[in-house]
Amino acid sequence: MKQSKMIRKLINKIFFIEILQGMALTLSKLFSHAVTRQYPDERRDAMPGFRGLHALVQNADGTLKCVHCGACQSVCPSKCIRLSITKDAEGKSVKNYELELLRCVFCALCVEACPYGAIVLTEHYEYCDDSREPFRMTKPKLLRNWEAYMAGDRGEEYLKKFWLPKSEDFVEREDQAVFDKSRIEKKKASERSVK
Amino acid sequence: MVSPELIGLCIRIIIILIKSVILVGVVMLHVAYATYFERKVIGHMQVRLGPMRVGYHGLLQPVADMMKLLFKEDIIPSRADKPIFFSAPVISFVAVMTALSVIPFSDDFSIANINVGLLFILAMSSISAYGIIFAGIASDSKFAFLGSLRSAAQVLSYEVALGLSLVGVMMLAGSLNLRDIVYAQSAYPFGMFIFPQILGFFVFLTAAFAETNRTPFDLPEAESELVAGYFTEYSGFRFALFYAAEYVAMIVMSSLGTICYLGGWTLPPFLTGMFPFLLKIPGIVWFALKIYGCIFIFYWIRATVPRYRYDQLMNIGWKILIPLSLLNILITGLLKMVGVL
Repeated sequence: MKQSKMIRKLINKIFFIEILQGMALTLSKLFSHAVTRQYPDERRDAMPGFRGLHALVQNADGTLKCVHCGACQSVCPSKCIRLSITKDAEGKSVKNYELELLRCVFCALCVEACPYGAIVLTEHYEYCDDSREPFRMTKPKLLRNWEAYMAGDRGEEYLKKFWLPKSEDFVEREDQAVFDKSRIEKKKASERSVK
Repeated sequence: MVSPELIGLCIRIIIILIKSVILVGVVMLHVAYATYFERKVIGHMQVRLGPMRVGYHGLLQPVADMMKLLFKEDIIPSRADKPIFFSAPVISFVAVMTALSVIPFSDDFSIANINVGLLFILAMSSISAYGIIFAGIASDSKFAFLGSLRSAAQVLSYEVALGLSLVGVMMLAGSLNLRDIVYAQSAYPFGMFIFPQILGFFVFLTAAFAETNRTPFDLPEAESELVAGYFTEYSGFRFALFYAAEYVAMIVMSSLGTICYLGGWTLPPFLTGMFPFLLKIPGIVWFALKIYGCIFIFYWIRATVPRYRYDQLMNIGWKILIPLSLLNILITGLLKMVGVL
């Protein structure tokens, strides 16, 4: 038993069995298909739910969904979002929404934090450039991104499928605790009337 | 008056010159496309594609590479020993190109038909090692220096095995003339020396890998440890000369193997006996096909076998290959004495 093992070992050594096996493998791979994807010619579609370039979500009438609560700004771990607000006769509105793309880590916590699904990551990922300026996103640029990559039902579907903003299931429960005195009065009144 | 002898001499010199130009052109073209096929073959063996962008399936890649090397800035280290630094690539390149001149590519094409052809090729491949050693010493770089030291030791130890492995062929052919060696092979049933000389062929192949600094014995230019080994400090056209020298050396070693073991430009007699029309195809086609096969084996081994450690390399050279080639000589001599061969 031991001897036959040794003989086999010796034969392996003399005839380079292992090297020959390796060479058979490389030869078989020579005639197999390469796995290379020729990138600029053969593009790969982004996986569903891919986190690419940012966009600000628009309503159907072209207004921002953003309610300038600043949740995205405070949750951002790389501190790349800066939100500024103006006040005028109609009330507060978003003055600018700055986003430093080069600092973003694409964690999508902003998307998760936004109660109204107002910011979103699109599936677009080819936006290389040779200066810093194009990577500083502003409100009009982010709105344009929405129009370019998420227009129509696409964006809404993406948000509902992968993020489900809290605004989708905002329901005021009947037994909700409230601190509004007038509402308490109303509630009591309604209870009385039921009796 | 010009004597007819002188005219005859001039004509012969002109013919030799024309032949040389043709040979250099053809060989350089082969070198260019050898790099392309090496990248393609190794690429596909690693399930990649290799060069694809320049021309159809990257066919113009060698041209692009050549242009790049020609127009590249030539950088010379400030502390380099300039005359030696300049001469090193030339020595390497000229030595291997000279070795080409004695190789009979077919029955009627060889630049010089000399009686010590085999010895001449061995001598020239040793001289090309000088280029490598000079390059290492003159570059004033530790990588180049280490590479050249390794190369010196490697070439020295494998030269012995290479020479000894060919002794068997010399004994069978009874000549050092490369043509005579090819003619001598037609007396054997396979028309090749590889079958009586299988041991010698194995030693020759291994030593040829080491001699041309190819994987698994590419320690002089081991890129993972020595950048590019002895030609680390070279750039531009001088780099190209070294690079070309390596590929020409590969072609020379393949032709030597073809001539000494695979029957040169002839086909096995039983094959031509079965298909007489094969005789009508010029011998150079068979010679080229055999060389391509040998070069493919070079690539194939490179894609498969990892590099040996340095002490392993030395052990293989001195403790395995040289005893094996001596054994081969002994066996060949005994068989010849008994009268089997």
